[in-house]
Amino acid sequence: MSVFVILYFAALIIASCLAAFYQKRGPFMTLFSLTLISFVLGIVGGAGALRTVATFAGVLAFAAGVSYAFREFLVIIAPTKLSKEIKTAPLTASFGMFVIFTYAIAAIFAPWIAPHGESEVISSAFAPPDENMLLGADQLGRDMFSRIIYGARNSVGLALSATIAAFVIGAFAGLLAATKGGWFDQFMGRFADVIMSIPSLIFALLMLSIFGPQIYVIIIAVAIIYAPRVFRLTRAVAGNVVVMDYIEAAKLRGEGTGYLIRREILPNSTAPLIAEFGLEFCFVFLLVAGLSFLGLGIQPPTADWGSMVRENATLISFGDYTPLIPAAAIALLTVAVNFVVDWMLFRSSGLKEQ
Amino acid sequence: MGDILNLVLKRLGFGLITLLVISVIIFFMVELLPGDIAQAVLGQGATEENVAALREQMGLNKPAFVRYFEWLGGAVVGDFGTSIVSGERVSTIITERFINTLFLAAYAAVIAVPFAITLGVIVALLRNTLFDRVANVLTLTSISSPEFFLGYILILYFAVKWQMFPAISSLSAGMSFPDLLERTFLPALTLVLVVTAHMMRMTRAAIINLLASPYIEMARLKGAPPWKVIVKHALPNAWAPIINVIALNLAYLITGVVLVEVVFVYPGIGQALVDAVSKRDFPIVQACCLIFAATFILLNLAADVGAILTNPRLRHPK
Repeated sequence: MSVFVILYFAALIIASCLAAFYQKRGPFMTLFSLTLISFVLGIVGGAGALRTVATFAGVLAFAAGVSYAFREFLVIIAPTKLSKEIKTAPLTASFGMFVIFTYAIAAIFAPWIAPHGESEVISSAFAPPDENMLLGADQLGRDMFSRIIYGARNSVGLALSATIAAFVIGAFAGLLAATKGGWFDQFMGRFADVIMSIPSLIFALLMLSIFGPQIYVIIIAVAIIYAPRVFRLTRAVAGNVVVMDYIEAAKLRGEGTGYLIRREILPNSTAPLIAEFGLEFCFVFLLVAGLSFLGLGIQPPTADWGSMVRENATLISFGDYTPLIPAAAIALLTVAVNFVVDWMLFRSSGLKEQ
Repeated sequence: MGDILNLVLKRLGFGLITLLVISVIIFFMVELLPGDIAQAVLGQGATEENVAALREQMGLNKPAFVRYFEWLGGAVVGDFGTSIVSGERVSTIITERFINTLFLAAYAAVIAVPFAITLGVIVALLRNTLFDRVANVLTLTSISSPEFFLGYILILYFAVKWQMFPAISSLSAGMSFPDLLERTFLPALTLVLVVTAHMMRMTRAAIINLLASPYIEMARLKGAPPWKVIVKHALPNAWAPIINVIALNLAYLITGVVLVEVVFVYPGIGQALVDAVSKRDFPIVQACCLIFAATFILLNLAADVGAILTNPRLRHPK
């Protein structure tokens, strides 16, 4: 019995007693079942397994603390109307916002944060971490940490511009189809069906094999692949708005299609569209990461998370986890955006899932 | 019964037309190349005679739509022409790899489908409890991770640290079946993790939707015991959404396989596609794309037909 194990069980039992005393049933059940599971885990896996559990719980508590503090911070700096909304946000949503905020800072201030340039060779290949390089060097002797920081700018930037392209095309076509109706609507609907029945990664590979992996080709390819999804949603949302009386009134006033879309339909369908933008970004980000993992994304020497994983994958067979950091960065941002989108969908639909 | 047959046939016809349109897109997209295939393959430095010779050899002098029908006619009987790079028949390169890919997808599906459906139903029944919340965060994380992230984590732990399974799935002819299962365990597990997460969430949503319907409330109100509500009232109506979920996720499996195959150097059709894309070997790219698209459409079609067949309202039309 090491000191750590004694402290571990003492902390758990004291915490569950406190929860029981204050009549908190949920936390008590969680803590006490964790205690019971820990007995088994301690016998099977020894102190190491318990240490893993403790680290995991610590990370979770830390994340919860950060999200709580960040939510309070947002409540204070936001204008009154918005801060009321934020106050009701779950911790997962404020965690998501915090992560997005951090990534934005890293992307915008990359040259000032990163200690070295993104394609600057400063050491030998796969050099281990030292006081100069936080995470060691990559396969060409460039600083891994700096490249991850720059990757926030390049990978997220590419995914964001591709999403915006897809969104503008899809939303515009959807609004037009909903307002105009008729053959245009039918034609666009069929066209979207066909594009959506090709698997996205396969379609992207086909286009990149023909036009080569340039950045603008990636953006256009992704826009073509994902615009139909936006089109469908926009058409459905706008379709519900178009049948309203005030649209009829505007039409009778003699307003044109442009006015109808801009002043009447768009303001009444923003909430689901913003949530869709977040979801769309997740899909696009994962697709672009997959492409760059296959060597068809942003071309070297520009730092990019997907290709960094592939280039340094050899390190994994030596039990080193550094190549996984860029992949984890991709996953973390996607999870964060999903958390925020979940909250926004919940808020805009107003439905309490029971 | 006539109505339902009509409905299914209509759906099949629509799927066939979609596939035809996709084959047109796949074929004519290559025609959009600046110059033509021969020029693109040989590069800028090629002499005029070389390009002309290759053009002759590939039959590029015929008009595009004639070549399209030749290509399509060949594709229907499994002949996709010859590879530009190696000169081999595309069908010989692809056939074995396609079988390998199907094996991997089937392996993953056999584990994932029962596992995910059971967990999804349990999570739906225990909704808004701690178990549900934890499952929600875990599945969300799994969906949000790129496939290569999950794959490399599995390699790091199962292959490098604990040395339980091989990191690279090298298959050889005449391997025994248990050996085969062991070699392909990690790629299959990666697919299982991704697909299970998707499937669980969809099953959960479908079941919760179902439990909110008025006839379930009616059954509860008339005092039926909870297990009877589930087994007699909910389950018969749950088949349609569940079949839908399975088919959609199998379709997802088919594309997810590309990245996983590359991570584990698995000799499948996804790997062939990626290799061909980087070598610009268009006949192979076209063949692989067509096969993937066809499988995708077929599974989506299966989902639709399954939904029609299991819907009592459609089976007994008024």
